Amino acid sequence: MTTQTWTGPVRTLTALTVTAVFILPVYLVLANTFKPGTEIFAHPGTLPLHPTLDNIRNVTGRTDHLFWAGLLNSVQVTALSVVFSTMLSAMLAHYLVRTKTRGARFIAVLILAGLMIPSAVTLQPITEVLGQLHLMGTVLGLVLVNVAANLPFGALLFMGFIKNIPLDLEEAAALDGAGPLRTFWSIVFPLLRPAAASVLIFAAVSVWNDFITPLIVLGPANGSTVTVGMYRQISEHVSDFGAVFAFMVLSTIPILILFLFFQRYFVKGLLGGATKG
Amino acid sequence: MYVPRGTRLRTAAAVAVAAALALSACTVGDGNVTKASGSGSAVTLTFLTFENPNLTSEYWDAAIARASAKVPGVTIKKLVGTNSTAYLQQLYASGQAPDIMTSISPDGFAQKGELAPWSADEMKNFIDPHAGAIKGQTYALSFNVQPIPLVYYNKDDFAKAGITTAPKTYAEFLDDCAKLKAAGIIPLEIGGGGKDTWAAAFGFGAIVSSDMLTKTPDWFSKRAAGTVKFSDPDFVAAAQKAADLSKKGYIDTAGLSRSYSDVEQAFRDKKAAMYPMGSWFSASLDKNKPSFDVGVFGWPSDAGQNVVPVVTGGGLMVNSKAKDVGLAKKWALAFAEDKANLDNSVLADGLIIGIKGYTPPANVGAMYTQTLDIYQKAQQSGQTVPAWMNTAGDGSLPPGFSDQLNAAIVDLITGRKSPQAFAAYLDQRYAAATR
Amino acid sequence: MQGVKNHDRPTAAGLRGPFGSVKRARPPIGASRPVAAKRRREGGTYRFLVFALPGMAVYVGLVLVPMVMAIGTSTTDRNGFRPATHFVGLRNYGDLFSDPAYLLTLRNTLILTAIVTIVPNVLGLAIAQLLDRRGWAFNAMRAVFFVPVVLSSVVVSVIWETIITDDGLLNRVLRGLGVAHPPGWLSDPGIALYSVASIMCWQMLGLCVVIYLAGLQGVPQELMEAAAIDGASPVARFRAVTWPMIAPAVTICTVLLMIGGFKAYDQVKVMTNGGPGIGTTTTLAFDVVVTGIDGAHIGYGAAKATLLLVLIAAVSFAALRLLRRREVEL
Repeated sequence: MTTQTWTGPVRTLTALTVTAVFILPVYLVLANTFKPGTEIFAHPGTLPLHPTLDNIRNVTGRTDHLFWAGLLNSVQVTALSVVFSTMLSAMLAHYLVRTKTRGARFIAVLILAGLMIPSAVTLQPITEVLGQLHLMGTVLGLVLVNVAANLPFGALLFMGFIKNIPLDLEEAAALDGAGPLRTFWSIVFPLLRPAAASVLIFAAVSVWNDFITPLIVLGPANGSTVTVGMYRQISEHVSDFGAVFAFMVLSTIPILILFLFFQRYFVKGLLGGATKG
Repeated sequence: MYVPRGTRLRTAAAVAVAAALALSACTVGDGNVTKASGSGSAVTLTFLTFENPNLTSEYWDAAIARASAKVPGVTIKKLVGTNSTAYLQQLYASGQAPDIMTSISPDGFAQKGELAPWSADEMKNFIDPHAGAIKGQTYALSFNVQPIPLVYYNKDDFAKAGITTAPKTYAEFLDDCAKLKAAGIIPLEIGGGGKDTWAAAFGFGAIVSSDMLTKTPDWFSKRAAGTVKFSDPDFVAAAQKAADLSKKGYIDTAGLSRSYSDVEQAFRDKKAAMYPMGSWFSASLDKNKPSFDVGVFGWPSDAGQNVVPVVTGGGLMVNSKAKDVGLAKKWALAFAEDKANLDNSVLADGLIIGIKGYTPPANVGAMYTQTLDIYQKAQQSGQTVPAWMNTAGDGSLPPGFSDQLNAAIVDLITGRKSPQAFAAYLDQRYAAATR
Repeated sequence: MQGVKNHDRPTAAGLRGPFGSVKRARPPIGASRPVAAKRRREGGTYRFLVFALPGMAVYVGLVLVPMVMAIGTSTTDRNGFRPATHFVGLRNYGDLFSDPAYLLTLRNTLILTAIVTIVPNVLGLAIAQLLDRRGWAFNAMRAVFFVPVVLSSVVVSVIWETIITDDGLLNRVLRGLGVAHPPGWLSDPGIALYSVASIMCWQMLGLCVVIYLAGLQGVPQELMEAAAIDGASPVARFRAVTWPMIAPAVTICTVLLMIGGFKAYDQVKVMTNGGPGIGTTTTLAFDVVVTGIDGAHIGYGAAKATLLLVLIAAVSFAALRLLRRREVEL
């Protein structure tokens, strides 16, 4: 086989076929979101023959505000978690890079070990810790759990960046009379912007899509996030695929937009984190 | 500044913080609070509900509003969860226990003093005030009777297979299954997909009820006391019956991937002729009539009894550490005794009401009437037994055991476990659950 | 924008995009090469400790303390339905290894993780190679593979459940093609685990494609062309040029996939709830939640959690060692 056969139309056609097969499930969701229920059942594979927004309206018009309350929670939890995990992991990484003590190195190992821990494993004791702090069932409690979960990845990524920032830059600022905090936020952090973008988008996707943590930590008292809300929706609806699909589409749009905005940092973050670990 | 400005991240961070702050100002998830009428300093109590195709969020909101209208000074905050002991236990453990809850077994909670008992006086209007009692104390306002399960069947399919009357004995039942299968119709529908593993258990539950409990009604109390075991011949024989039904191809095992709402739909779509399910299915049939006529009978025993397993339950319970136990109890009673609430639970969930002097609304559907009729006849002729999988209190299954039982029943049906192995497994799990 | 343009340099370092960006953004002031080791050491004081404290506090409180608590609880018979808790030593661990359900769960997880680690890796690299071309059509196709990366596991599970349930689209198509009894993808105890694994593969495939595409950007085109002119076969060129260049991408994909396999919870919860039957699709992470949180057997669940932690630590340590060594050798 030579390179020539593999370029040109054969390759394009193969690529198109593979891509089409791969994305078929997502196409089905999109197409069926805009179909009436009877048509979903009769012609699940076609484009909407009688396009309708009824399914979307069913979701947005629910009397219990499952979608809107969930969206509100999701936006709030994601925004707070992302901002705090970015800030805290950047500061932590700075300490770990700039402090050459054995203690700092030990802390770095401890933090990096956290990269591998699935949230399900420590969830039961986490509920107890939060219970002791009276943070169970609160947005703040959920945010803190998310920050802790995203801290290792953030710290790892920032550490790689901070290592490349010359120390004399900070020392020059210190000589000018800036305190460590001021030096960090006005001199160092701006240089970390690409890393911060990676940490931000990575944390945002994982927090937005998380299911078990908000399900347990947020509990029943404070509504749900959109991801948990979707799980609730499927138990209540009698095979109403239209509504389920519409809920999926609506709950994915916000994070998709954010992701499209930041996608190149997502990949860079993954690769950067991998190679500098 | 010499630092090049990246606007993207800055904008994003600003938007994120602004959004978070703006949202913090609102009370998140307050869509579920129903205000008490005309009271300034209302006590807010939480009420744990669950949602399913019959009991929608609109149903709960309306019912809560009616009860709150009768009890001044209460604001109810509706919580939506699941009606399982495991779920409630987790809420208790994490300090999120609701003040009022419904349709959950008090077992495990009452013993730890986490529930407020009801006095005989408070329950004077209830037909069976001792339903689900634990050591003589009642913890749930058991206001409804549910036959679980009855066999709902497709009359068209029966006619097609040449069956004229519902089976009276188990031998007739097997004959009918054979006829249905010969006519190309799968006899029995079954559920259990996704998170609804419980929907697979009803056929087996009916077999145990029809044979074992007609002989020994207090078998499960004896099991709790340890005087009988699952591996005793009676129980193994019941398991054998279920395994045989499956082996003969009488069970639509495809249903094991169907969620509860899907399996309901599958019966409507004529995937199988008979559907053993709780009486709440009658409400669904009345609300949304299938394209065929539906009949109903109690699972036939060898001896020729059409057994109706019954549980009195579904009651509200009050947390003994509720913010205001007295008020919570008052509200729970108002909720349970409200005529409009009861009417709605009849229409939405096919409940048979166990409150003195209650008569169902005139507009109940045909399937409800049939279901009620079967229940009343069975009661008169003494053919009711405890619905052992759903009973609370003495003779009920230990907390956490049901999930394992449901999974094991699927193994029995799919042939992964022999009836003997199935019974031995249950004994082992029972020991672990009560350890 | 001044500074070293190492961003475009076709080396493995070019993959580390962000670090290149930092250098480019570096202001002239600090452009001189940093500093003697001595001065570095002077910077190493406790004056940044205050920076670490907030992050450490959250991490210690909500990751390390819960871990230690889990290990501690695993030596008790703690049960949410019973007030009294006793120390039972290592009995829970003994019980685990004599519990056939747990051994099945362990087996399920290993099978699932193996499938989820291998399949998207191989397919992802192949598809990335296929899509590594210029032009709007290929750009658009690359964008398509990004989509599942943002979908939550719940969304993915629900989508696929509607497709592969027994009355779902897939079986309707199969019946249309004349298959009288299409498989019960989620209802047959012998198949369900593989269905769940396949769905996870689909979910992770997009991520792998994206990572490998980024990795392939770093492969120098001139080198490939030179090798082609020298008459090296495509396989030889892949082994000699591409493979070493994408080593970091292989590492990250493998680690991500493995973690994904070990932490599989959402997919199981939504699609099968661990069934059909006893534990046929139960994974270790799912089992931890079912036992410790849903089932209130907190002590036993904690033992399962501890073992899962040990397993993950061991496997990821071994994998990283292996992959790193390969990266260095290459």
